[in-house]
Amino acid sequence: MDFYLGLIQIIGVHTLLGLSAYCVLLTGQVSLAQAGFFAIGAYVAGMLTVLAGWPIVPALIVAALVAGAMACAVGFPALRVKGLMLVVATTAFGEAVRLFFFNFNYQLERGGFKFGPHGGEGFRQIRYFPEHGWSTFDVMLFIWVAVVLVMAALWWMDRSRAGAVLRAVGEDELAAQSSGINVTAVKVTAMTVGGVIAGVGGGLFAHYTTHIEHVQFGVVLATFAVAYPILGGLSNVFGTLLAVIFIQGFLIEGLRFMGDWRNLLFGGLIVLAMNVRPRGLIDAHTTLALKRIFRRKESAGA
Amino acid sequence: MLELKGLTKHFGGVRAVDNVDLTVAQGEILGLLGPNGSGKSTIVNLICGLFPLTAGQVMLRGTDISELPPHTRVGMGIARTFQNIRLFGQLTVWQNLWVAQNSSEQTGSENFLRRWLGGSRHARAEVDRALEFFDLAHKRDELAANLAFGEQRRLEFARALAAKPALVLLDEPAAGMNAEEIDQLDARIRKLRGEGMTVLLIEHHVELVMSVTDRIAVLNFGQKIAEGTPAEVQANPLVREAYLGTATAA
Amino acid sequence: MDYLDFIDSVQSLADGVLFGTTYALLGIGFTLIFGVMHKINLSFAAASIGAAYASLLILAGVKAPPALVFLLSAVCGGGIGALVYLVGFRFIPLANPLATLMSTVGLLLLIDELIVHQTEGVPMNYPALFSDVMIRAGPFNLRGDLMFVFGLGVACMLLLLLLLYRTKLGLATRAVSQQPVAAELCGISIINVNILTFVITGVVGGLAGAMIGAAIGMLSPLLSLPLTVKGLIVTVIGGLGSIPGAIIAGLLVGGLENLFQFFRGVSERDLYIMLLLFAFLVFRPGGLFAPKAGRD
Repeated sequence: MDFYLGLIQIIGVHTLLGLSAYCVLLTGQVSLAQAGFFAIGAYVAGMLTVLAGWPIVPALIVAALVAGAMACAVGFPALRVKGLMLVVATTAFGEAVRLFFFNFNYQLERGGFKFGPHGGEGFRQIRYFPEHGWSTFDVMLFIWVAVVLVMAALWWMDRSRAGAVLRAVGEDELAAQSSGINVTAVKVTAMTVGGVIAGVGGGLFAHYTTHIEHVQFGVVLATFAVAYPILGGLSNVFGTLLAVIFIQGFLIEGLRFMGDWRNLLFGGLIVLAMNVRPRGLIDAHTTLALKRIFRRKESAGA
Repeated sequence: MLELKGLTKHFGGVRAVDNVDLTVAQGEILGLLGPNGSGKSTIVNLICGLFPLTAGQVMLRGTDISELPPHTRVGMGIARTFQNIRLFGQLTVWQNLWVAQNSSEQTGSENFLRRWLGGSRHARAEVDRALEFFDLAHKRDELAANLAFGEQRRLEFARALAAKPALVLLDEPAAGMNAEEIDQLDARIRKLRGEGMTVLLIEHHVELVMSVTDRIAVLNFGQKIAEGTPAEVQANPLVREAYLGTATAA
Repeated sequence: MDYLDFIDSVQSLADGVLFGTTYALLGIGFTLIFGVMHKINLSFAAASIGAAYASLLILAGVKAPPALVFLLSAVCGGGIGALVYLVGFRFIPLANPLATLMSTVGLLLLIDELIVHQTEGVPMNYPALFSDVMIRAGPFNLRGDLMFVFGLGVACMLLLLLLLYRTKLGLATRAVSQQPVAAELCGISIINVNILTFVITGVVGGLAGAMIGAAIGMLSPLLSLPLTVKGLIVTVIGGLGSIPGAIIAGLLVGGLENLFQFFRGVSERDLYIMLLLFAFLVFRPGGLFAPKAGRD
């Protein structure tokens, strides 16, 4: 039972990671920096609960804000580069964050033990949950409350004018500018929101795994972050959720019995998926079709 | 309404626009003609602020807007269509118009957050009204990329008007249209003037230009070579030369 | 800093520049694909290492001369390149850059896994030419194998430039990169040009993989990710679509990487490379040889 709860926890945290990339991808920016913001959220939240004794919710909030601030700072120079250059720049940023934590030492001594991030060894003993008597089920619930809140917020945004504006910028910046949209403000805002979401995800991640190290926040995680929304489809948030469930749940855990072949299948499946459904599992057509099923109104004419 | 003073744009060694002076009076329909490559689209791009000008000024209602970013200029009342249609293909027809509505006057609400998130019922009604006017209401939930070419052109036009501009720049709106569609376009442009808008029309379709414009300016190689009423411009030998070449070629 | 330290630092710089030709070749590969198709092939570095592995595995039982191994690596690289195109690009509609990005990621994972599978994760030794040669130039040592790698790299670049600028194929490639529709209307088959571009870059990549193996002395699947990142950085610093840019940037990154390592150690080395990239992005986003600005 604990195994499945653990899996659900992973799915929850990775959904947050995917949603942070979703926000940014809507505006047409392919950002491989989300793992970096995730890492910042993880370390900051961990340090606040372990070294400063903060309770979990304020720690998560501050971690999210710090990650968001970093994202905002990245958002402005990111405006100057497009396409491949943005991919490289954000990858480099993510790597820079990882390398920073690789070299980062800040330990406090308490009762004979040293706590805190310790360079290559990582940050051990992030034991807020066990120390306060949270069971695995409690933690899972907590994670998913966060996920549901974020998904609801993004779902609502998608249905509002802000969602259409974000996508317009992603479609065609020139046309968006000429329609009166402040493209700079939109892109930086999207990047910041993405950073905040990743920060929350990172903070939760640090606390349920209790031990984080720089290796976990590398290019592979960054790639997963954008893989979820791209594979799931950018037309709504459920696509990302579906992709996370599919990838984490089915492929990584469910195919364990396939052993070594599992990773081969993974890569191959991605290639196949992109050839067969380039716009993702749930694309704009599917979304519209689903909307029509749910809407009882008759469409006029034609 | 609009004044271009000494407008100049160089791309590397190419003088796309060379010291052009132009005035568009309030409420008039000005046609901008010229052979391909004469700088017409570049001028529209400069007026909208899509790239910086090399020299000169763009004045809107007496205010110098030469340094302002595009979205601010739109907020001040300029709108444009694109020569090759630039719709938001993955958004629905309705959404294409909705995102373009953002000057506070016509969303009916001053609250920035509300404007960003919902827009008012008033704004939504405006979009519906525009769809009716352009005969696109039946396609409101269709993805813009799936429309027929003529419908896309109408949507492009509708989107330009969604921000209720004072000045509309139409970049070859008649391209690819049949006679019936051009008549409708003619009627819609006149209706715009009737509602107090000023129109700058770039077009190759001679009949449309002669019919609907009050005045015409002609460009060649980035410079203005003629200006006047349609009749005057038609009779101007420089214009003939620009389009047809010199007499010996006949 | 005393004299010996100075000598050592210049030595590392020189060694780095020589090794940097491999980065240059990787950068050329990325930039060429981007120039022709306006898409990123993230699997390129992995494919290059894969080609080097393939050459080892194919000649596994045979005591083949190193030159043959290198040649085979190049050939395998070309083959893998064509496969990458067919599986990752051919059938995905052009308007979906995200889809091709993802498909190349899938290919990268696939290639890495195949390598791990076949070799059970154990690094393999790679043959080197002139590894026992050491030329002394004053207080400096010039390693024979690095010099060979450098020479090979330069020869490869020259051949490539010749191909692109002096042959009909090269002309067709440049035409497609500038105006695909018009090129097609002139009778150039875009698919053929694309396949050939992938094959050519694959050959270059296979050679790069072999050179990396020769210079380091062995191959490991762990190489593909850092090489991908470095290759992309070189491409961006050099300027997207510019081959001379990729060459100079590759040498620059190679040299500086070693220099940073000499002064600050391995763990901080890459951080400075990232800072270098950021400096370029802030001050010169077009890269060393920015593509000319068009009319819109």
